[in-house]
Amino acid sequence: MTPRLIATIVTAGFLFALASSAPAVKDVAAEQDGAGLAPPKPQDGGGPVPRMADGHPDLSGVWWGGADIGAARGRGGRGGARGGGARGTPPPTFTSLYKPEAAAKAKTLGDKDDPTLRCVPTAFGTLNVSLYDVGAVGQIISTPKMMVMLTETYHGFRLVPTDGRAHRDDVPPAYRGDSVGHWEGDTFVVDTTNFTDNTWMSAEGRVSHHSDALHIVERYRRVDANTLEVEATVEDPQVLTAPWTVPKQTLVLAPFDRIMSLNCSGIETQALMDAAAKQSTGK
Amino acid sequence: MRRAIRTALAWSVVSLGAVAAAWAHHSFAAAFDMNKPVTVQGTIVQVRLENPHSWFFLDVKDAGGKVERWAFEAGTPSGMVRNGFKPGIIKKGVEVTIKGFHAKDPSQNMGMLRELVLADGTVYGMFGSQQGPAAQ
Repeated sequence: MTPRLIATIVTAGFLFALASSAPAVKDVAAEQDGAGLAPPKPQDGGGPVPRMADGHPDLSGVWWGGADIGAARGRGGRGGARGGGARGTPPPTFTSLYKPEAAAKAKTLGDKDDPTLRCVPTAFGTLNVSLYDVGAVGQIISTPKMMVMLTETYHGFRLVPTDGRAHRDDVPPAYRGDSVGHWEGDTFVVDTTNFTDNTWMSAEGRVSHHSDALHIVERYRRVDANTLEVEATVEDPQVLTAPWTVPKQTLVLAPFDRIMSLNCSGIETQALMDAAAKQSTGK
Repeated sequence: MRRAIRTALAWSVVSLGAVAAAWAHHSFAAAFDMNKPVTVQGTIVQVRLENPHSWFFLDVKDAGGKVERWAFEAGTPSGMVRNGFKPGIIKKGVEVTIKGFHAKDPSQNMGMLRELVLADGTVYGMFGSQQGPAAQ
């Protein structure tokens, strides 16, 4: 490696870091008004868990990690290392559990193959929070009979009955699957199956294909008025050697009560990625 | 010295990965040539605040008067709005200077938007933060 090449790579890294931290620019979010524009503020617990008429916790709210993409993170939104793994080793990820044939397939895929470039959602979520999907914000409308989970980025929704009924057998496979739920004490358990196999688990060019045997169980627990903890287990016996225990995610209540409706058209972005791949690999 | 270079290199790569992951719905490193900064000056013809990424389109006139259409990819719309970018703030017909990095394919008039500068000096970043008169 030549000194010039080293200098180039180092410079590129610094430039990326510099650009992302947006130095010397003013955060004007505090001056904005309207839904979704106030900056996140550090929160305490905010008091006891609100409850629905039937006594179960009310999970309603817009939930995020403390900030949207592109801003410094506030309190919450932490995940990561608590998912397991021996001391000194990172916890397993979905793709680290691939069977050899699944890993071999993954090697044939790249950034340009990411379905999210064409506005197809993920099966799970880039930040390991299914409520967010590809973005960093989601909303729950909690009722005693039905939990409504709304995703801001790519317009995802899940209608989750809360009475423990069985999965539907009259609906086709879907990007976000079919969900049913039940309460275990104060924890709401969501069981999701019936996925298509043409999505990835996450976006950003992170190859993470799965099969239609994908099965996700999530456990939502509102620990106080401002905090929602989510744990999940992901099974896919066709591509994984073992179930994936997702690191626990801690979400906080956002200081606004509505997510946005946003369009998606991946035309230019897909063209950009196709051309970049051709430039890099010749195919 | 060699160790220092390795450390700097590792830091750089880590920064690159972390930043790209925090930014994007796709890998920026895969899409853009970070060794090829580009600056163009022209007239906005369209702004699309949408997923997976927002785009700024502008017509750029070369020295001979020939007009070429350029497109620059910016941040996700929700991130831009929540970081202070009001929809409609950059209108069709506005003269701007855009600084960024060229798409990996040199034949494409595309790039990553790092800075958009208005005639009055107002600067917008990829996620809509700004400085200059409009921020006063």
